[in-house]
Amino acid sequence: MPRCFAPIALGIALVASAGCTPTVKVTADEPITINLNVNIQHEIRIKVDKELDSILSENSGLF
Amino acid sequence: MTTYHTVTAKLLFLVALLFAGGHAMALELDDAKARGLVGEQPDGYLGVVQDTAEVRTLVTDINAKRRAEYQRIATANNVGLADVEKLAGGKAIEKTAAGNYVRGADGAWRKK
Repeated sequence: MPRCFAPIALGIALVASAGCTPTVKVTADEPITINLNVNIQHEIRIKVDKELDSILSENSGLF
Repeated sequence: MTTYHTVTAKLLFLVALLFAGGHAMALELDDAKARGLVGEQPDGYLGVVQDTAEVRTLVTDINAKRRAEYQRIATANNVGLADVEKLAGGKAIEKTAAGNYVRGADGAWRKK
C-alpha cells in the first residue's frame, strides 16, 4: 500500500470512531434518597404501613 | 328478503366490533411502566414521563383511585393525608422495578 494512504486511512478511522462513542453507564450517579419528614406515633405508623403495603400489592391494580 | 337480513346482520356485526375493542385498547399500568411512559413520585402519585393524552388519562385515573385510598387510610388512622401520601411515595419508589422511572426530590425523572 502506498505510504500516502496511511495518514488518510488514519484520518478516516478517527472521524469514523468519533461518531461511534456509545456511553453505557453501569453505575448510578448517586443513590435515590427520599426524605420522610413524617411525625406519627410508632404504633399508628405500623398500622398505616401495613395498610399501604396492602394497596401496594399486585391485586389493587393501582401500583 | 335475503338482502335485508344480510345488511342488518352486517350492521350489527360492525356495531358489535365498535364496542368490543374498547377495553382492550386502553393503556394498562404495568405496560405503561415497562415502556417508560409513567413513573412513581415521592408524593405517592403516578407521574407522566411521556406526555400523551392516553398517558394522562391513565395517570389521572390511577391517581384519583390512589387518593381515595390514601384518604381512607388517613381518616381511619387519624393521620394527615400528606403523611400517608409521603409514606406511600417512599414505598412505591422502593418497590419500583429496576429500569423503571422514578422522580427525584429535584423533580427530575431517573431510571431506577
